[in-house]
Formats: sequence, structure tokens, C-alpha cells
Amino acid sequence: MTECTEAYNLSELVSETNTNLKKVKCLRCDSFILQPNSGLFTKLEMSLSIPALRQKKSIVTGDSIEYELLQNFWIVNDAFTFENIGFTNTVDNKKYLICADCEIGPLGVQNLDNPNEFYLSIDRVKHVN
Amino acid sequence: MAKAYDYLFKLLLIGDSGVGKTCVLFRFAEDQYNATFISTIGIDFKIRTIELDGKKIKLQIWDTAGQERFRTITTAYYRGAMGILLVYDITSEKSFDSIRNWIRNIEEHASADVERMLIGNKCDMNDRRQVSKERGEKLAIEYGMKCMETSAKLNENIENAFFTLARDIKAKTEKRLNQNRPGSNSQNGTGSNTKLKPKDNGGSKSSFFKMCTIL
Repeated sequence: MTECTEAYNLSELVSETNTNLKKVKCLRCDSFILQPNSGLFTKLEMSLSIPALRQKKSIVTGDSIEYELLQNFWIVNDAFTFENIGFTNTVDNKKYLICADCEIGPLGVQNLDNPNEFYLSIDRVKHVN
Repeated sequence: MAKAYDYLFKLLLIGDSGVGKTCVLFRFAEDQYNATFISTIGIDFKIRTIELDGKKIKLQIWDTAGQERFRTITTAYYRGAMGILLVYDITSEKSFDSIRNWIRNIEEHASADVERMLIGNKCDMNDRRQVSKERGEKLAIEYGMKCMETSAKLNENIENAFFTLARDIKAKTEKRLNQNRPGSNSQNGTGSNTKLKPKDNGGSKSSFFKMCTIL
């Protein structure tokens, strides 16, 4: 099992028009998530706090969820722009994005206050030509 | 951004609790990463992109999310559904018997021309089988559906089932588009019981039987 973050160089990922140059795939199972040129690069001033991919403690036993602050995202404006993606049920007015195949996640988030903005974390996916 | 697909189909999974609908759509890989976090919240729906005859098709696939425990599913859930996978468990007689009830429920609430397909899940558990393939086929023929046995566990035939259903909806949609083109004013047949026959190959028993792709 490979670790689910990979180092990246933004200049290799972002096009001149601020979109994703490469295909976006799942880090774990290679599921095809986003076509090139479909997400708009955004570096948030206020990082989003999203549950970590790896939870050290067991949530089942009532321990609190561990979060991670994320700053770099591909913003997608239509759910059907995604090639393959899963949505969790709503919690705190948010739906989390997960891999449609292996269900790793959250890979990103949709805040239902702005339902047409899907934030896909650049840290939690991989980019391939 | 330009629309990058040709068709969008909404598909539903319906059947008793425990037949493995959730596994058909959702895998809930236990113990890996935070599967616990995701499975605690639960999954609402998935979007998948497939290609059929050079057309790009977006599938939005919904699970009943436990609503079926109350034996009925609301009209809201069926709204806009173009395809339904009716799932039973081949090791559960009861889940197979329920299919008729589900069909009734669909006829009451779903659009009259929704494409249906019968799925006998858990075919990896042949030693505990209670429902023979033949009975599945017979039921499918009775209602003019295709049928297929799948194993969500072995990931067998699942993709095939989605592709088959999508292909049938696509054929139906294109047929309708062609009919509408010369100006014939056929609305989305609500209320009426006129069902488009699955393809136009006569509908004799033998040809239906061939459509039952049981692998």
C-alpha cells in the first residue's frame, strides 16, 4: 500500500489558463477522476479543514476525527465534469468527494452553500499525462 | 466549460436489504485508510463515465440508502430515473419473492418507460444458492427484462450489468429522438402504460431468452 500523498510541483500541474494540465487519477487505485483542463486551480488563503485520509484512532469507538488543512484545489463547477467520483451523504451541510472505485476519501468537498463548487484536493490525487 | 458528454442517465439500485445492492455500487473497503470515516457517513451516489458506440455517457447511480427497509420507496427517489437494477440475492428465496413487490412499486412510482434489469447477486456463493438461474430467467421474461447474475464480491459482471442497462436506455433514447425529429409530438409517456419493448426483436420467448446474459 502506497502512502497517499505525493510531492508535486505546481508549475508542472497548472496550465497558463489556470486549469489542470494533466489527467487527475486516484492515488490508490488509478480511477480516472478528471480530464485535463476541467478544474480551475485555486490556492485558498483560508485553508479548508478536511478529515484526514488516514485516521489513526478509530472513529467507531468515539474518538474524534482527525482533520488536515488543505490549501490547493481544483475547483469543478459541474458534478458531471468528473469522469468518476462518489459523493457521501451530507454532514454539516457538506458532501465529501470520494474515489468512485476504491472509495478512498475524502478527496475533496462540496459545501452546499455553494453547491456548484466542487473542491478536489490537489494533495489527495495524482496527476498523469 | 462546454458540455463534455452526450447522455446523462440516472440509474437506481432497488431490492431488499442485505442483497448486496450496496456492494454492487459501493465497496466499503474495510480497514483501509479511513474507510470507517466514509462508511460512517455513508455514500449518497456515484458518477461514472462510460463510452458506448463513441458516445460519452454519464451515469449517476443511486442506492436506496436503507429506505427499502420500510418496504416502500418514495416517488422522489424514482424521479427522473431512466434505469433500475432490481437486485436479489441468489441465496435468499425471500429477496427473490420480493422482486414482484418491487416491480409493483416501480410501476406505481417510476416513469412508465423506465428500463429495468434483474440482477441475481452473490453468484460466488453457489453452495448456498436457493434461487436457480432458470427461475431468475423466467421472472425476467415475464416482465420483459434482461437478467444477469453478478458477484459484487468478485466484481463479476457488475460493470457488464451497468453497460447493458446503459446501452438499452441509449437505444431507447435515440429511438425517441428519431421519432421526435420529424415533428411528431410524443411527450414523455406519463400515466399511459405504453411501454417500449426492449429492442424490436419480436419478443418471442426464445429471443428474450437469448437476451438473458447469464454468465
